[in-house]
Amino acid sequence: MPPQSQPRIPVEERLFSLVLALLATETGLTKGEVLSTVQGYRQKFNASGDNANLERQFERDKDDIRELGVPLETLESPGQAGNNQNLRYRIPRGAYELPADISFSAEETTLLNLAAMVWREGSLSGESRRAMLKLRSLGLTPDEPVLGYAPRVRVRDAAFEPLNTALAKSAVVTFSYLKPGETNARARTVEPLALIQHQGRWYLAAREAGTDVRKTFLLRRIVSKVTISNRSFTPPSGDEAEHALRELEGLWNTNTAEVRVTAGSDAATRLHKRRGTTETASDRLLLHYTDINILAEELSSFGPEVFVLTPTELRDAVVTRLQQLVTDHQDTDRG
Amino acid sequence: MAERKAVHQAADKLAFLLSLVPYLMDHDQVGVADVAKHFGVPEEQIRDAVKLIAVSGVPGATGTYQHGDLFDLAWDNFEDNDEIVLTNLVAIDDSPRFSGREAAALIAGLQYLSSLPENADRGAIASLMDKLSRGASTLPSQMGVEGAETDATLALIRESVAAGLQVEFDYLNSRGEQERRRVDPLRIESMDADWYLRGWCHVREAVRTFRLDRISNPLQSTSPISFSAKDVQLPDTLFQGSADDFDVTLDVASAALPLLSDYIGDAAVTPTAEGRVITTIRVAHLFSLKRLVAGMPGVVRVVTPGEGRQAVAQWAAAALEMYEN
Repeated sequence: MPPQSQPRIPVEERLFSLVLALLATETGLTKGEVLSTVQGYRQKFNASGDNANLERQFERDKDDIRELGVPLETLESPGQAGNNQNLRYRIPRGAYELPADISFSAEETTLLNLAAMVWREGSLSGESRRAMLKLRSLGLTPDEPVLGYAPRVRVRDAAFEPLNTALAKSAVVTFSYLKPGETNARARTVEPLALIQHQGRWYLAAREAGTDVRKTFLLRRIVSKVTISNRSFTPPSGDEAEHALRELEGLWNTNTAEVRVTAGSDAATRLHKRRGTTETASDRLLLHYTDINILAEELSSFGPEVFVLTPTELRDAVVTRLQQLVTDHQDTDRG
Repeated sequence: MAERKAVHQAADKLAFLLSLVPYLMDHDQVGVADVAKHFGVPEEQIRDAVKLIAVSGVPGATGTYQHGDLFDLAWDNFEDNDEIVLTNLVAIDDSPRFSGREAAALIAGLQYLSSLPENADRGAIASLMDKLSRGASTLPSQMGVEGAETDATLALIRESVAAGLQVEFDYLNSRGEQERRRVDPLRIESMDADWYLRGWCHVREAVRTFRLDRISNPLQSTSPISFSAKDVQLPDTLFQGSADDFDVTLDVASAALPLLSDYIGDAAVTPTAEGRVITTIRVAHLFSLKRLVAGMPGVVRVVTPGEGRQAVAQWAAAALEMYEN
């Protein structure tokens, strides 16, 4: 079939042809070989002139293919180290193919399907869907979604997507962060190490760029766009996500507040059922928390149904919020 | 923007092609309808993909895509019987690995599910996560999600859903009224750390959503459910408006807008002063409005109606009074 007869090669055909060509080569193809022979490039290749546009196209295609988990490798030609024109590209079969000893049982496939359904929005939902596609490639059929169960985790913070991208690339990021109690947001430049969700809120575990100082940021308090820099860093080898989760869990266990609730109220029912709550006396509850300001907001929503006994900082934080609410909603117009 | 979207679609199509080829290799002769069903896509998408695969290949020794360098298809069988038989294979032997981000998404999803009572076998979950890690082409991104919180109420309702039995419980509704409910439990849903029961309420004779942390004294009844999930259309969204709902205009810090997305729907969002927007939500009752707004002090302010403003001001003032005495 003469390819010249096709007016335009669809993007997916070009990408597919590139993957096939680079999988088939042992020694790798040079950029020139790719551009002049691979379907989708060769039609636009100018044998005697400038191929700058096509070269940029190839650079973008390499990124897009790598995004999908295809391990596209760059090799220096023997004896020609440093010569960019003679770099060779290939996809090593062993790094591309799912190892033969990995298989999934029917129960595992069903569980993975449920895990994929946890994400219904944003890039995580697309990535889960693609992972399930690869499982189907193995001939595995996930059962119908377990009827009667629909668990989901939300990703609503605007900062999540850029941070997730930066995390995958180990790229330094900059954003403005508004600490509670401060009126001005401050710019932070950090190395993202993990994204974690604890008690329904997303946090970024990060390292201050160029230091070993670890910080945890609440995504909700990132008030600017996240800028991903060109600077990358070498991530530490440990399980940062687990470490950060354990740290938050530790805070949760240590921090307690005692409150009095109105019997039979919404506050009494819900705070009683809140994770870790114990009853210290009739209508008195001991609550756990990670962040005093988050708890203060949670409690101020219950209005007069809850009264903070200890600690004083929490009491003050709640009072400040209640005062703000009154100021914001008092009608100044008395006519 | 549109171009970026087109690239995304092309990447998805590429992932589909790379997944479809190994499946077809493992199934010597397979109907288009069966493949479509397996992958959960329209039949036309399978036919388009197969046609593309059949003319694709590698440049080969000559660099000119000679016949033997291309996949080939039993075209007659394809066109007459809608069946797929690949007659020549190139380059691809096996299914692709997961990307690091794909593996991370599934691992984090598993972490969230790991504390559910039926996933008590931690060893099985750990081994599954390990397989995902090993099956990824790069190290999975560092992502961690706390296991979903479960309690006796969840376990009891979960059992009742499975057994098809009704449940009864005390429930404080969004108007602040406490009432004994009898419900056909149909589906348990969660959002992050919060759990909900969706079911047919025999008291209201309608589908209702209940927050699990507002349920007290739950009991499993011996009566079987009268409606099953198949009989009842469960809307996709957890909360449905009713005709009695009213409009509330809010002044919101734009950074906090996503937190209200369940309420806002497709209402207009108008930017005002720096970092603030005006928008409208629909709420069922002042009881729920004052709680919603009081939970976001300084971030959300009621503009209209006046009763809404009053309800919030009085709610907060009543609480303040306790601290002043």
